[in-house]
Order: sequence, then C-alpha cells, then structure tokens
Amino acid sequence: MKRRDFLKYIGAGVVGTGAGLAAAKIASPPGAKLIPYLIPPKDMIPGVATWYASVCRQCGAGCGILVKVLEGRAKKVEGNPLHPVNKGGLCARGQSGLQALYNPDRIVGPMKRSGDRGSGRYTPISWDEALKTVAGKLKGLSDDGNADKLWLVSSSERGHLGKLAEEFMSAYGSKNHIEYDLFQNKNLKYAGGVTVGTEDVPFYDIENTKYLLSFGADFASTWLSPVGLSHGYGQMRQGGGKKSKRGVLVQVEPRMSLTGANADKWVPARPGSEAILALAIAREILAKGYYRGSNAGAWKTLLAPYKLASASKATDVAAETISKIAYDLAKTTPSLVIGGDALSSYKDGISGQVAVNILNHLAGNIGRKGGVLINPERLLKAGKRAILKNQKMTRFIDASLAGNAKALIIDNTNPVFTIPKSSKIMQAIREVSFVVSFATFIDESSAMSDIILPTNTFYEDWGDDFTEPGVGMGVATIMQPAVAPVFKTKSRGDIYIALAKAQGGKLADKFDHGTFNKYLKKSWKKLYNSNKAMANSALTFTDFWNRLLENGGWWPKSTPRTRTRNVSVASVKNYLPKAAAKFEGDKSSYPLNLLVYPSTGMYDGRGANSPWLQEFPDTMTAVVWGSWVEINPKTAEKLKIKEGDTVSVSTPSGSIELPAHIYAAIRPDTIAIPIGQGHTQYGRIAKDRGANPLEILPFIEDKKSGELALNSTRASLSRKGRAKKGSDDSLVRAAANNFEYGRDYTKIISPAEFAKIGKEDV
Amino acid sequence: MSKKTKYIDPADRKTIPERIKDQLAAYRVPGYYEKFDYHWTMVIDLDRCNGCGSCTTACYAENNLPVVGKSEVGIGRHMGWLRLERYVEGEYPDVKVRFLPVMCQHCDSAPCELGCPVYATYHNQDGLNVQVYNRCVGTYTCATYCPYDVRRFNWYTYKWDTPLEQQLSPEVTIREMGIMEKCSFCIQRIRGAKDTAKDDGRRRVKDGEVSPACGQSCPTGAISFGDLNDPKSRVSILAKSKRRYNLLGDLNTRPSVIYLRRVQEPLHASAGHETGMAAAHNTIAEHGSTADTAHAIKDTHGKKTQDGGH
Ligand code: SF4
Ligand code: SF4
Repeated sequence: MKRRDFLKYIGAGVVGTGAGLAAAKIASPPGAKLIPYLIPPKDMIPGVATWYASVCRQCGAGCGILVKVLEGRAKKVEGNPLHPVNKGGLCARGQSGLQALYNPDRIVGPMKRSGDRGSGRYTPISWDEALKTVAGKLKGLSDDGNADKLWLVSSSERGHLGKLAEEFMSAYGSKNHIEYDLFQNKNLKYAGGVTVGTEDVPFYDIENTKYLLSFGADFASTWLSPVGLSHGYGQMRQGGGKKSKRGVLVQVEPRMSLTGANADKWVPARPGSEAILALAIAREILAKGYYRGSNAGAWKTLLAPYKLASASKATDVAAETISKIAYDLAKTTPSLVIGGDALSSYKDGISGQVAVNILNHLAGNIGRKGGVLINPERLLKAGKRAILKNQKMTRFIDASLAGNAKALIIDNTNPVFTIPKSSKIMQAIREVSFVVSFATFIDESSAMSDIILPTNTFYEDWGDDFTEPGVGMGVATIMQPAVAPVFKTKSRGDIYIALAKAQGGKLADKFDHGTFNKYLKKSWKKLYNSNKAMANSALTFTDFWNRLLENGGWWPKSTPRTRTRNVSVASVKNYLPKAAAKFEGDKSSYPLNLLVYPSTGMYDGRGANSPWLQEFPDTMTAVVWGSWVEINPKTAEKLKIKEGDTVSVSTPSGSIELPAHIYAAIRPDTIAIPIGQGHTQYGRIAKDRGANPLEILPFIEDKKSGELALNSTRASLSRKGRAKKGSDDSLVRAAANNFEYGRDYTKIISPAEFAKIGKEDV
Repeated sequence: MSKKTKYIDPADRKTIPERIKDQLAAYRVPGYYEKFDYHWTMVIDLDRCNGCGSCTTACYAENNLPVVGKSEVGIGRHMGWLRLERYVEGEYPDVKVRFLPVMCQHCDSAPCELGCPVYATYHNQDGLNVQVYNRCVGTYTCATYCPYDVRRFNWYTYKWDTPLEQQLSPEVTIREMGIMEKCSFCIQRIRGAKDTAKDDGRRRVKDGEVSPACGQSCPTGAISFGDLNDPKSRVSILAKSKRRYNLLGDLNTRPSVIYLRRVQEPLHASAGHETGMAAAHNTIAEHGSTADTAHAIKDTHGKKTQDGGH
C-alpha cells in the first residue's frame, strides 16, 4: 500500500475529533449487543477498516504505528510508513501489542486487596470507592504534614503524561518521583553528558555508515530503537543503489547476540574487558597516526597505558585483530561505534560508554553523516524526573527502609520483577503503609498494592511521545485511542487529574484541565504557538491538530543537521577504567561469568503474557514457552550436561533451575540466560513459566548514572536431572536442529565475490 | 453542472450476463492459464534479513494463526505459516549463523497440487498456490508432498481465551480441525489492492501498492513483493540479481519465492582455507547467476538449476 492511500484511510478516520468520536459512541464492551449500531459512528463503515495513527509503547523506542480497526475492534498493528523512526516496520513485540489489549487476564475494574500483599487476591470495587479511598489516603498524608512521604514510581514517560505526573507530585508537595524501567540506557546517557555535553541519546546513522563496530549493542532484537536501527542495517547492507558500498559490521561480545549473528566478524572478548579493548583500539589509532584531529599528543599520553600486548592478554583478543579493527575503523569513512547493554551493564559501565565515544571522536565520526548525530534539544523539555540521579531506585528503597515512605504509587512499571531480589525492594514496599497501582495487569508489583486502579492500554488512550533518540531532528508522536476501552479502565492522565481534584484547595485549582485529552490538546497548542516550524506547517491550530492525528505526529521535513562536537581529553580522563570490570563471587566456587540479556520476545518481561510471543521461537535458539541457559559445548561436555537437561545456576545471591541449551557461539567461560520469564504473577500465560535470572543477581546500582550492573556476577552450574518431555519445565524448540545436512538451504557469496557484482539498483 | 443521462440505444444495451462477461474480461487477462494475470513474486534478500522474527509475528496477527502451546510445539505442530530457520556451523570461536525465512514458495510446478484428491489446493489466475478450506478433507497428502514443509494441519479446533478472539480478522477464515492451511501470500491483501485499483479506475495494481503482512512489517526491507510480469517492478529488478537462487532449486518446483544470497565469508576462509572462495568464483563463472554456492563440497551436481526465470 502506498503512503497516499494510507493517508486517505487515516484521513477518513479523523473527521472532527478523530477516534474520540468513535470512542464515545461505542458500547462497552464492543459487540455486546446484537445490532451494535443502529446509527453507526461517523468514522465506521462495517467491513471497511479505519486506520488510526498512534505510538507503540511495547518498549522505549516509540515507533509510529497504524492500528487497523474494524467495527470498533483493533485487528492489526502496522508500522507507520510516514514515521521517521521506524519507517513502516515494526518488531515482533510491536506486532503483539494487541494481545495486551485483548489479554484474557487484564484487570477489568478497580479492586481492593483481600489477601496478603503479593498474593494477588483482590475484590472488585467501584471506581467511586477506589478513587475516594486513594484520594482520602493522600489527603490524610498531606494533612499530617507528610506530603513529602508520598512516592511515585512510574514508567519513563517522555510525553505530557510524564509532565502531568511531575506537576502532580510537585503540586502535592513531594519530590519523590522516580521514572523506572529496566532498560533506560542510563550509562549511555551519562557518558554522553561527559563526552559531548548532552545526555540526550544521539542518533546513530547506521544506514549511511560503511563500518559499524558494535560493543554488545543488540539492535536487531531489543537495543535502543530496534526497528529504526534495523532499518538502517538493511540499508547499510543492500540499500543506496548500485554505487553504494556495502557496510561492514563487527560485533564485540562474549555471547553472540542476534546482531552478532549478522556480523562479518564476531569478537568474543573476555567479559568485562570490552572497555579496555576499545581503548586499546583507540591507542592503536593514535600510535599508527590515523588520527586527524587536534590534541594528538594529549590523547596519546592519556591512552598510553592501553598497550597492544597487555590489552590483548586482558581481553583475549589477538593483537592483529585489535590492529585490524583500528585500521578499518579509522580508514573507512564514515565509520561508527556503538555500545549496548552488554558493554554498559558491568560495574563502572560508564567507562565503556565513554570509551565508545572516544573511539567515535578519534575516528572523526561525531557529527558526520553515517556517524553519531547529536540530536537537537527536545521539543518538550525533559523535566526533573528525567535527571539521572532522580531516577535511582535506591532512593526509594533506602527512604522506605528508614520509614520515610508512607504512601506509594506504582504507575505502569514492574520494579519487583526487574530489580534483583537482593535490593530488598520487596521489604521496602512492604514497609509502605499504603500502596496503590495504576496497572493493566496484576503483575509482581501491582500485586503488592492495596488498591489497583486499572488503566487503559496505549490503544485505548490519549498521549504523546517525544522520541528518544530522535533521528538527528526532533520527533513527536501522538497517541490516540484506536478503540474504546475494552474494560472499565481509565486513562492514567485522568486518574492523576481526578486525584488532584479530590485534594481540594490549590492543588485542585491547578488541575482544572477537565480531562487528560483536554490537557494534552492545550499543551500542544502551547507547543504550536512557541515553535516556528510547527506554526508554519499549518494555518490554524485545528488544522495542525487534525494533521497531527492523521500523520501520527509531527517532525520537521528537513534532513538532519550535523553538529560537530569534540570530545576533550580533560572531560574523559576521570572515566577511564584502570582494569577490567570486577565480578561478584570468587573464581573457584563460581567459575563462570553470568550474562543476562533481554530476549527478542520477552524484552524486560512484559512480553511474557502474550501467547504469540510465548510461541515465538526465540530468534537465536528457537526455544518456545520457557527459559534456558546457554552453555558452550565444551563447558557442557566437561560438566556432563546435555541439551535439555535441567541445571542449577548459582551465584552468591541465589540459585535458579532451568533447562540447558548448548550454544556454540558463547565463550566457554561464560553462560547466558534471557530475561523475561519466571513470573510469579502476570496472568495465566506468563505465570510459573521458566526462571527469572534477575532474582539471582547482586543489586549494584551505579552511583552516578543509576544503571543496574546486571552482568557483574560469576555463577556455577550443576546438572540436576531432566524434565519430562513436553512438560512445563522441559526445553522445547520449534526447530529440530541447526544443520543443513549439506542441502545448502542458505547460500552465500563471499565479500570478495560480492564486490565484483555490487548492489542492485532499487 | 446539470445532470443529463446519456442516451443509450436499446440495441447497445447489454444484458446482465453480458456485462459480467465484460467485467471478467477486464479483470482477467484471457489466456491467463498460460501467462498469469499477475505473477506475484517475493524476493527475500538474506543479506538484509537480520533474523528479527517480526515477519513471523506479523503473519500470526494478519492470518488468525492459532497458538498451540508448548507440548504441541514439541511434537512439531507449530502453526506458523512463515518460520525463521537458523543454521549454525563451526566451532567456537569461528561460528557462522545464517537465517532463512521460509513460507509457502507458491511453486508453479507445485508438488502439493498433484496429490490432492479433491482439488482443495490449486493454482489461480495470479500464479498463487491457493488452499480452499471448505474443499479440504484433511488427507494430509499435500503436506507429505511439499518439500519445503510449509503446510500446517489443524489437529484440533483451536480456541482463543476471551477476549483475545476480538483481535481475529474477519478478512481471513478461521480454520477448524482437519483442515490443511499455509501461507497464502496474504491473498486478502492482494484482493484489497485489486479492489482499490478497480475503484480508482485502474486496470492494474501499482508496484509497491501491496505487500503481505511479513513484508510490511520487516524492519530491514528484506522482503519485497510484486508482479514479475511487470518488468519495471522492484521484484523484477531484484530477480535479475546475480545473488538469486531458489530454495531446493534442483527439485524444479519453480517457486515464486526468490532468495538473494547473504554476503558472508565462508567458514574457515579466514583460517587460510582458500578452497571455499575459489570454488565460489568457479561456480559463478561456470553457471551464471543460478549456480551453486561458495561451499565447494556441496556443489557436486554440476548441473544448471532450473530456477532461471520464466
Ligand atoms: S521497537 Fe518494537 S516494541 Fe519498541 S516501540 Fe518499536 S515496534 Fe514497539
Ligand atoms: S522481519 Fe525481515 S529482517 Fe526480520 S526476520 Fe523477517 S525477513 Fe528477516
């Protein structure tokens, strides 16, 4: 389907107030009546699909989506081809969002706790009662002069919902607003602040690069902005027409990720030594005189300790490989270095991300097409809640254990599942006398609350997102309800407004927005009035707003402006690692490094309640419906572990049992476990399935950035037995094996041969 | 403007059957059984594909595929119409992985079509291998004949826990126990595009106007779809690529899915085994674009495979 045709469809849907119109008229739940529409809503023709443009919130990337709606029900989600981030593509999790909307275990109405905290036993109550109870508790707290003992832990929200929540907290009188998600790229942001002076994540122009060096950045499955970066990857490989050279990918990581599987060279450096490797490459660039920038002398002195020979020993990477990477990186223009979760989730992970930026600087990639593009300031400024040190979960845990948290709001995030047990997060929540959750599901965190206020999913709600990273220019994406709420749920924004209203006095006066929808529109009017490019793009605000809903957002038409930034020696000198990262657990009792990673389907665990994602064969292993631990064949042989055996993985912080998967592409001294399974709540599909590796990690939160050091422990492995075939604890793969038996299904052509034929002109 | 009805001489007025005939002629090219109306073709560029699996889930969403559960997957009853295969060779640290999305290849000489006793699977005027659900009696013959293992059998009538069923698309039939199913190239989307073309007063669907759900979702742009009869279409250009090959091409099933080779150093090439690269050079020189791969050992048949366009 061509863009123009899409627009026609969307356009049809946004007569007047867009989805709001349909939303208001659809009986809830849809389809309850035999003849639902005697007078059908304006934008609904039976049998003809209406497409609503909105934003995907299955991860932090913020891809633009189009939701196909037939007779008031969402049938399919597709990437919005106009959207500059994902350009029409979507990932498997984005596709599966509909199974969150129509999940059989959604919370259908407000509830109050009737069992112990964590038991997940609740009785239904009315919205009136629920809001009254919560508002009453908050009122009581502030009347006692304890307003500052209210805590809010929410998912990270870059749009107006986050702003509203921040306004709510400060008007109420509490500074305790933490935005928490497991993957927030905090070290990456912090390192950006140190090196290039902005904590906004830059745009990595993979599409136009010719040499991509990635330190554990798994953008093919989950990292940063998977769809956008994968689009770039496809273009780097075979886009750009006949004359364009094919870009090369080198991936450094101890366990081959999906991205690593696509690399031209996979470099399995010793875990924790990646930053050293990066700096040794940097030193090589200087030593060989490839560096063209200023201050070469100072850089040389700074990087002198990272000698080739010693680095080769520390990293377990051949000296020739290091030299070759240095040569290719410096001599290929443009080149690009990126650093992902694997690099930054060691202790002192900031140093790794700083090293990545040093490399980009030395290779001349910052501010260059095909390199690192600094994003302009965001269209909606990030508030205090986005300051890294405010986002640390230890703030809440310490305060609560010291008796300084009397009430807690958990809004759409699941810290109990994603923060290691050793953090005492459970005790901290138990200490709070009143806990309320704004949630769509009873998950491990909302199960700890006294009252649950059920919220809309992003298909049923208004909102917006100011995408980070942008694409070298600011991107704002709008969220509009594609369908009416399936159950008795409310907009998160409306809940904040209702709670503020009920407090009376000044707080209520400040929150006279009416509904969140009105607040959103009003705020956008302000943006429109203050932003020249926006104002020039439409005659009136109404025009602008309608176009916003049609296109799914607003972004400048221009191509990204390149801003060069220099990384200075002075800025980085305190961030260089002295030695490879340290790990918990001594080598004799815990001989293996444990690596945990977000799996393609489950991400941080939120995918686990989708039947599609459970049955989605994991991209690298083809495992379905469960967890596994990846073991190198040699290591497995030594420990007498066979494919599918149940093994116990122990760390100083605990142990879990799960089936073994023999994985050829992992270092013999490393094992890896995907994150996402092992839920104790979260509905029938997710519950009691597999194991959660986060449970056995030490809790190490970076003092500066607040990032969790997930890969900072050693582990031991022992065989426990074997689960019954096909049982819940067994290992089931959707593929019989990984061999071609000489049938040559996947044909290849060597790079040298390919250079002779070149790309196709499409 | 005044509305004036155009006068038509009664002699020129057509009967309803005549009009239907005219419309059909406008819709189908006579002689389509020799040259399809459209020759829907898919080109999958394995050098773009990064194995993200988005395509497989998009197919579930589009085509009402049932979820069968862990133990059923364990006995090979996964219902995915499109599967992502992964192949691993070598030993640590020299490991090579390759991905291969496989769906019904819509072969022009489809082995499955020969076996069906009730003609539930046949070739339509667009060159699609289609499956008529309410004709299928579940003999499983087609699935045993298919060399690509892409046909899926409904061992049960699968259920969706409410309200998951609200997502089911009314544009695709929900299958019952005993029915065979498989990738349809998203025929409902093709029909939609043809209808749009007709409503716009066009004879033909434009290139790029229609894509199956998998291709629509693919972030890397690995899956292209279009009409091979149109020499200017994206697939026609890609089909001429020197990297093209057909899956199990030597079976001469004449698939409508064309793969483009991934660019990858053969295993051990870096360790000084030059044979692989030398072999690749020879085979491409000898057999042109359809020749076998860089793996010298595998290239023993020495015949030209029969996937060279039609
Ligand atoms: S990357 Fe996937 S999950 Fe994340 S926003 Fe995009 S489509 Fe959604
Ligand atoms: S969606 Fe595209 S890149 Fe992802 S696995 Fe499918 S074909 Fe490959």
